[in-house]
Amino acid sequence: MSVLSINERGRFVLLNGDEAVARGAVEAGVKVAASYPGTPATEILEAIAGVSKQYGIYAEWSINEIVATEVAAGAAMSGVRSIASMKHVGLNVASDAVMTLAYTGIVGGMVIVVCDDPSMYSSQNEQDTRYFAVHSKLPLLDSGNPQEAKDMTVEAFELSEKLSLPILLRLTTRVCHGKGRVKLGRVRELDRKAEFDKNGSRWTMIPANARRQLKILNEKQIEAQKLMEESKFNFIEDNGKELGIVGSGIGYYHARSILDKDHFSWLKLGFIHPFPAGLVKEFAGKVNKIIVIEELRPFIEERIRCLGVEVLGKYESGLEEVNEFTPEMVRNAFANLGLCKKPKEQEELKLPPRPPVLCPGCPHRAFFYSLRTVKKDAIITGDIGCYTLGVLPPLNAVQTCLCMGAGISQAAGIRHAGVEDTIFAVIGDSTFFHAGMPGLLNIAYNDAKVCVVILDNQVVAMTGHQPTPESGKRVTGEEAKIISIEGIAKALGIDRVEIVDPYNVEETKKTIKSILDYDGPSVIISKRPCALLVKKGEIPRVTEECDSCGVCIKLLGCPAISMTEEGVEIDPVLCTGCGVCEVVCPFNAIRV
Amino acid sequence: MVFAGVGGQGILLASDILCEAALLEGFDVAKAETHGMAQRGGSIITHVRIGDEVSTPLIERGTGDILLGFEVLEAVRALPLLKDGGTVIVNNKFIPPLSVLQGLAESPTKNELMDTIRRKARHVYEMDGISLAEKAGNVLVMNIVILGAFLAVPENPIKEKSLREAVSQRVKASYLEVNLKALKVGKESLL
Repeated sequence: MSVLSINERGRFVLLNGDEAVARGAVEAGVKVAASYPGTPATEILEAIAGVSKQYGIYAEWSINEIVATEVAAGAAMSGVRSIASMKHVGLNVASDAVMTLAYTGIVGGMVIVVCDDPSMYSSQNEQDTRYFAVHSKLPLLDSGNPQEAKDMTVEAFELSEKLSLPILLRLTTRVCHGKGRVKLGRVRELDRKAEFDKNGSRWTMIPANARRQLKILNEKQIEAQKLMEESKFNFIEDNGKELGIVGSGIGYYHARSILDKDHFSWLKLGFIHPFPAGLVKEFAGKVNKIIVIEELRPFIEERIRCLGVEVLGKYESGLEEVNEFTPEMVRNAFANLGLCKKPKEQEELKLPPRPPVLCPGCPHRAFFYSLRTVKKDAIITGDIGCYTLGVLPPLNAVQTCLCMGAGISQAAGIRHAGVEDTIFAVIGDSTFFHAGMPGLLNIAYNDAKVCVVILDNQVVAMTGHQPTPESGKRVTGEEAKIISIEGIAKALGIDRVEIVDPYNVEETKKTIKSILDYDGPSVIISKRPCALLVKKGEIPRVTEECDSCGVCIKLLGCPAISMTEEGVEIDPVLCTGCGVCEVVCPFNAIRV
Repeated sequence: MVFAGVGGQGILLASDILCEAALLEGFDVAKAETHGMAQRGGSIITHVRIGDEVSTPLIERGTGDILLGFEVLEAVRALPLLKDGGTVIVNNKFIPPLSVLQGLAESPTKNELMDTIRRKARHVYEMDGISLAEKAGNVLVMNIVILGAFLAVPENPIKEKSLREAVSQRVKASYLEVNLKALKVGKESLL
């Protein structure tokens, strides 16, 4: 049973930040929730979906973040409460909708949850979503632990309805995936009838209406400012000290953990945009010096400086504007300011890294092996998914990773630029649905001689096996129509579509070879379910014919195969019995 | 407390269970872990902080009290988080990273790794988690065996009863018996 189903006010439960947001949405009476999987935001929708029946919530995995935002917007325009959740780069995808949604506004409360990933644990870049609030003129709440994440979610729905604006709620990876004690609140039951105002000219952003709505949006800033000034998420702890610390997010809590709290006065900022200038000035009047502790860019620091208040910021403390903070970084910063001792150096042994790898039996590995064997010098563009790990040795099979879907169009650009090499673009099934379809249509229309390989494992594997439009299942477990990737590729204008089983290495190689001579855009669908989701096959053994040449290790890089003093060994616990190494071995020494 | 090991060893579940047990005893608790890309067979380090009031889940380097190492190399990787003279429980299994197996990187030997742990920690409890898990009835409950061993350590603030209750909350009914046995086997291995 999910702890989100507990309707017991005041009870303490253990939640991570994502689950806490989900709980906050439930407590606020959310009716529609939409998202696309992306670390560290994935668990928000999963947690809501887990209790969707109990609370009468509609939850969906949308095919991408802008679709999720539009679905949530439609619901909020109809007067019910809705939530759209995504990782920071998902907001880039959604931003076309969000920027103009600020103009139209909404009726029912709408919260857009954005999870930043400082240190890029699972992302291609590091963004600071606080700046998007300034850009879009939408209020933003910035949470630093699960309790705040829950409380801010509940409050964001209230703010949203007071302002008729979507509210941005920001978390960071450590908040999303950090667990903490959360005190539950009451679950509200909102008995609202969804109704869409067909005569609302504010929904239609033709220039005349948009000019009017922009004026309204600007007027709402004054109202938002007032609500910010009353917010419980910005507060001073005045200990009558000369030094004052201003902080937000998890950085504030690191500082509280390291320093003796009573030796400083504190200003915690949670409602960050519109910026709490009044409170900052009041705080500046109480202390002699202000130190700002904030992860990523100097957002708060810049704004305080604009007020003419002197601060000790990133430069003075030595805290960088990249990467997440660790407690020792914060201690170092305070040491640089002469407020405490430097942390003791820790002995560190030189250790080999253990980066994430493609799992044993991964069908992507099998396909990459065939591709590299047939055409070692091909250009292979890629994008984001488990298959990006194909970049690692020994496969070295992915040469680009820009953003979702980019590989297809980058491949086209490389071709149109005049590069004559063979070009493949690899993309996963879910990424294809998310952002690959326009690129594929584009290469069909503009006739780019590129072979697009759709690595189809029938699931969003990297984020924890969420269903896709091809899975026949929705996030709530209900059955769904199965959408055919082959059908889409053909409908988008690709005449040559081949389907291969990557475990069948010989057939796969044959198909790849035949495509090399094809003069036009083509698609290969490499179809095999994710190895983590299927029953193991028969585990092979290494026979006496093995002469320890190591080809299996050098070409496949399967974690289940290792070279020991006794020779090649296959770990029976890790091995899935995919059979690919049996084909790879030149001596036929690996057999079931 | 620090949990360190390799993705797939059950660290997320084990650390969750410990947090739930701490919550049952009325402690404040915070935990930091990694999901997503970082999880696929890569290094896993999970921080757990238990106390009357815990403001951040991350442990400052050199201040951790106890390290639960699920694998030797990863235990050493997490060692800077431990305070000098801290306590280490370590599953004596060494899993070389793929880069080492492929001859692309070098690794200290298992003995060198163990010596590094012994230099830093005052109490080191070495255990054969896999055999103990097999003894409990399933090799997959190695994570719970290590939690059980933690019960036998004097610095442990959590009562066995709470840990058993937390296990019952988090584990499917059909696997409950083997998991409770794993706690017992783990604890007894250190007594």
